[in-house]
Amino acid sequence: MTVAIVLLTLFGSAWLLAVIEGWTVTGRLRPAAPLISGLAHLGRESIVPRSPDRVFFEAAPVLLLVVAVLGAAVLPLAPDLVIADLGTGALFINAALAYVLVALIMAGWGPNGAYAMIGGWRFLGQLIAYSMLIVMPITAVAMRAESLVNTAIVGSQAALWNIVYQPLGFVLFYIAAMALAFRSPFDLPTAEGELAGGVDAEYTGVRLAVLRLARLTLVVTLASATTVFYLGGWHGPLLPPWAWSLIKTLAVAVSMLLAGGYLPRIREADLMRWCWTLGIPLALLNIVIVGLLILVVP
Amino acid sequence: MSALEQYSLLLALVAGIAGTVIGLYGLARAMGLTRREQGKDVPASSGVLSRDPVWGRYHARYYGYALLFLAFDMEMAFMYPWAVVYKEVGLVALLDMGVFLAILFLGLLYGWSQGALRRQ
Repeated sequence: MTVAIVLLTLFGSAWLLAVIEGWTVTGRLRPAAPLISGLAHLGRESIVPRSPDRVFFEAAPVLLLVVAVLGAAVLPLAPDLVIADLGTGALFINAALAYVLVALIMAGWGPNGAYAMIGGWRFLGQLIAYSMLIVMPITAVAMRAESLVNTAIVGSQAALWNIVYQPLGFVLFYIAAMALAFRSPFDLPTAEGELAGGVDAEYTGVRLAVLRLARLTLVVTLASATTVFYLGGWHGPLLPPWAWSLIKTLAVAVSMLLAGGYLPRIREADLMRWCWTLGIPLALLNIVIVGLLILVVP
Repeated sequence: MSALEQYSLLLALVAGIAGTVIGLYGLARAMGLTRREQGKDVPASSGVLSRDPVWGRYHARYYGYALLFLAFDMEMAFMYPWAVVYKEVGLVALLDMGVFLAILFLGLLYGWSQGALRRQ
């Protein structure tokens, strides 16, 4: 039952996100458009490029979807509404999301197309840039909660949300989450303007439908992670807990979508330089500040 | 729920998602096969076929970052258990990890001064 509710919420949010994305692009609000386009993809030809690495080509979209769902499976919507409340939940989500890189390298390698391959290798550089800014802020969150259990992390924010307690960590995590979900302005592996779609370029028909669903699901998973780690999860007045989780997750996901629309795509070299010369010192500073706060303020 | 049950549930979830996707592929296949036509399966390459497979060796221009990344990634393995017991151990934990992080941060500064933080 829990599994069904969580999955329905996850894919429902992905659908809503697709509707809003279509709205911002075309200016028309069409709730059925994502479903129609998904069904249309089923009827289209799904072409396999010549001399591909077939295993990688087929595995990549499935792996990306599986990883996004696994990440969401350990994040609580309400105190008892979580598929698996693992003892190492905050670590598990890192481990699961590391496979986004594997999926994208496979999607780049598989079709034997130059643009796709460049997109795949680019994402490896992007991982080296963003990944420390995912794990270091989560460490500071775990320090405050004294636990890696995600429900305990939300519980530790009952009095004060982490966005107020450690705003620096929130900003770093939010930007890194956008880079991890390869949303614009960090859409280096897909980069429509320069790589003709990059890792998406060779996927057609039903495979492309799965890949697009996986990308949207990944954004929802990361927005949910931001909610759990920084925005107090299910805490909030009046409304039931699950409603607060859902509202916050959707708000974060939409803000990621809109923020990207107004920014130019960042170059890989610049992204790495900013992340390492500014991001990582700030992340370490965040850990020290939170450490001192925990010791000084009881 | 015990840890074993939780992990088997996650495994079942993986199998369920993969099964659903394979089912979708089967459905798409049942609706019609891809017609074989010449030149249809050429990857996007601006009309020019690449002579060789694209799986050549690429210059990893971020190798300076990559080496530093290894050091920082190993450090994170120690940070998570430390973060859980931090409040319990108190000031000693802060000083211990402070020294460790300071040494690591000096490494970052040294790499920076030697031009490692640059796309080569």
